[in-house]
Amino acid sequence: MISDIVSSLSGSFAPGAHSELRAQKSLDRRVVLLNGSLVGNTRQDSQGVSARVYQNGVYGFASAADLSAEAAKKALLTASQNAAFLNEKTNPGKGPLPQIMRGVLPAQKDFKDVEQKRYLDFVTAIDQYIVEKYPDLASRTIVATADSMEKQILTSDGYQAHTLAPRAYIYVMMSSQTRDGMPVEVFKPFGKSGTFEDNFTDPALLYGGIDQLYEHLMKKREGVFAEAGVKTVILSGELSGILAHEAVGHTVEGDLVLGGSVAGPNLNQMVASPLVSMTDFAHTAFGETAPLPVYVDDEGVLAEDAELIRNGKLVGYMLNRELGRHFNMQPRGNARAFAFNDEPLIRMRNTAIHAGPNKLADMIANTEDGYYLISTNNGQADTTGEFMFGVTVGYEIKNGKLGRGLFDTTISGVAFDMLKTVDMVSDTVTWGSSGFCGKKQPMPVGIGGPELRCKVMVGGK
Amino acid sequence: MSRELQAATLAIQEMTALGAEESSARAMTSKKSELNAEGGKFTLLRTTLDHSLSLTALKGQKRGTVGSNSFEEEAVAAAAKDCVSSAEAGQADPAWEFAREGQKEVTRGDIEPDLDKLFFRTQELIETIHREYPKVILEQVIADHTMETGVYLNSHGVKYVTTAGRYGVSLMFSGHEGGKSSSFNGGGFVTDSLDKPFLDQASLRQNVKDAENQIHTVPVKGKFEGTVIFTPDCLGGMLGELISNFASDSVLLDGTSKWKDALNTRVADERITIRVAPHDARIVSGQTYTGEGFEAFDYTMIEKGVLKQFMLSAYAANKTGNRRAPNGSFALVMEPGETALEDLIKNTKKGLLVSRYSGGASGASGEFSGVAKNSFLIEDGKVGSAVSETMIAGNLADMLSRVEGISKETVEDGAMSLPWLAVGGITISGQ
Repeated sequence: MISDIVSSLSGSFAPGAHSELRAQKSLDRRVVLLNGSLVGNTRQDSQGVSARVYQNGVYGFASAADLSAEAAKKALLTASQNAAFLNEKTNPGKGPLPQIMRGVLPAQKDFKDVEQKRYLDFVTAIDQYIVEKYPDLASRTIVATADSMEKQILTSDGYQAHTLAPRAYIYVMMSSQTRDGMPVEVFKPFGKSGTFEDNFTDPALLYGGIDQLYEHLMKKREGVFAEAGVKTVILSGELSGILAHEAVGHTVEGDLVLGGSVAGPNLNQMVASPLVSMTDFAHTAFGETAPLPVYVDDEGVLAEDAELIRNGKLVGYMLNRELGRHFNMQPRGNARAFAFNDEPLIRMRNTAIHAGPNKLADMIANTEDGYYLISTNNGQADTTGEFMFGVTVGYEIKNGKLGRGLFDTTISGVAFDMLKTVDMVSDTVTWGSSGFCGKKQPMPVGIGGPELRCKVMVGGK
Repeated sequence: MSRELQAATLAIQEMTALGAEESSARAMTSKKSELNAEGGKFTLLRTTLDHSLSLTALKGQKRGTVGSNSFEEEAVAAAAKDCVSSAEAGQADPAWEFAREGQKEVTRGDIEPDLDKLFFRTQELIETIHREYPKVILEQVIADHTMETGVYLNSHGVKYVTTAGRYGVSLMFSGHEGGKSSSFNGGGFVTDSLDKPFLDQASLRQNVKDAENQIHTVPVKGKFEGTVIFTPDCLGGMLGELISNFASDSVLLDGTSKWKDALNTRVADERITIRVAPHDARIVSGQTYTGEGFEAFDYTMIEKGVLKQFMLSAYAANKTGNRRAPNGSFALVMEPGETALEDLIKNTKKGLLVSRYSGGASGASGEFSGVAKNSFLIEDGKVGSAVSETMIAGNLADMLSRVEGISKETVEDGAMSLPWLAVGGITISGQ
């Protein structure tokens, strides 16, 4: 753990100014094995201090790549000068921010940063399993990755905290070819928050998931192009989670609401079927620790759940302190920064659609003609709520039964229209947490959801 | 001796002492001053001072790479040790290579920011948009100056010393009227100077103007095969996908590239010539040396439709028996055509003018399907309504062979120089 360099510096805060100090160390480890060749073997560390000072509606921010009290004091001074520069140029005259709760969170437990050999040995064992069992693959890539963010946070009027957030994943990618020679690929992440040692004790524990991935690949190899048009689909939990994040979550981030997102005029309106509820969970979801728990944000706000959709009605936004004042709502700990030199932005934490009453098997059996869409490789959405997701694993549903596999396709729609077509929701939430959300800065986020049956536009050939 | 040179020199010494047969060290310091505005109001002035130290070691043909951001002696020594120990844990591979020659010192751009003028230009941008395009809401404006200074050394005596300053602008916006809004759009550029108003650079004014015309949309009915004219902003992304899927390290290494045997054969219409040219006068974010320490030179990737060069690192080149790319940048410069954009549109019977594409990663097959965002319908040679919920689908490889025209106009954003490209045979589908 980094030694405490900020908690004694509250005396350096300018009287009356809302100020934040953060010392941070981030680690990133990565090993990439491509067809058995080690093409990536990297370790990345970065550390430093930053300060942000608020003055009448504008912020000044400064950072230095140095973990010392002197650097922290200097950053505070520069941040104050930057705030003064902007205040003088723009004269926003907004006055101080509303008060928030004060407190101190105990430091979270430290972890062991393992050597590169540990990652390499693990991916080599996975690679050997794949090459021996499935020698007919066109290519295979195994990636081991572990990252962590450690932050010491001191604010002039909020919470003080020392947090550590490690996570570790294995990604497996396989490719083959159709009879016509068209390449087809599948991909699966394994892992969650926690250290590599916590999450990956034995390569054999991943073999079941790898076998399943290979089966998807073989069915995709014999697959068909999805038919273009508006179709009935069952979205897997992975896809409903990305829908929750991309197509709804971003539109209810306060800064995007301010920028004219579709959520602005829809507050307290029905935006989804009454079967749909959605929350951005802080640290605990459905009685268990959320995939990437956040206990306090980088503005010193104690993290709480942000309820977004309740039984189909849009009921709230995600906010920082400044926009909490603007919208006259309570900030709930969504202001987060990625690196030590980044300012806090409004970010999601663990955003999920809640489970419903149905069983997946019944949802498939009740669908005469449609698609079951399982995996995605990316997703994008608009401030209008118009979304697009790439689908890499999916199947036809014909007469209540799964049929042929699908080649890569894309689905799209407008979130607040599409969510109104949801007529079945499964009883199991599937979480994912391996990716990064991109919004000026990257940020690890948890996304989750149950299977949803709905209508979307499928982009076929 | 600069702090950067001290850190890099120490790192090479330490890695050599620990048994690395070859090693490299890149030490950089960067200073950024960044203005942010949200909803058309200034919100933040951010200044950052960062260091980065990137080390690579080869020991017994095994490679390790470590990055840190401290130049303190103790930290540099620890990073060097970590790097060699990572290499020791790796696999021997004779394909790894460091440059054996190269010496250059380069200084470019404004090293110190003119913060008052940066503020003035940014305020002017916001006020001009507010005055001339009142239906546009500016979600975010970021205007910054970045200065980077540093050194690259390797154990073969290669040395590059670089110092560069540049300004960058990016914005996100959408059009709004009567409770309706356009899709968000954006734009940006990098530049050496603050002499010209921001709105008159790259495609910013056109994109902002289009946002007002994209508030009211019509969905395309049915499905048809038509022509898509990609704007330069959109074309950059499509070419990025194409290169990543057919001409980059990973797809050549894993053998999934459709172009793996296509070198010196026709892969595109003969009007297509694409250079990767970080030294082109229109490119601001250039490159002096590659990640493996080779001096960067411009090259032609596709010449008159013939594939001349993959975008490969020395490692991937050695591994696949190909030639490494003479630079490691993505500074794409595409030769313009001889047709005015206006005539490209006039020649289009039915199709779309696509400014932004939102689609899934196309994968090794090159098949793509995604939403045509910020796009207009073209019918009988005229640009009509903006469209919504409209998808386009095709194949990246086929796309370059189905060229119907290339505009003589180009857009330069400091990172690329690209024309408008009209492509036939694209599946366009709506509700």
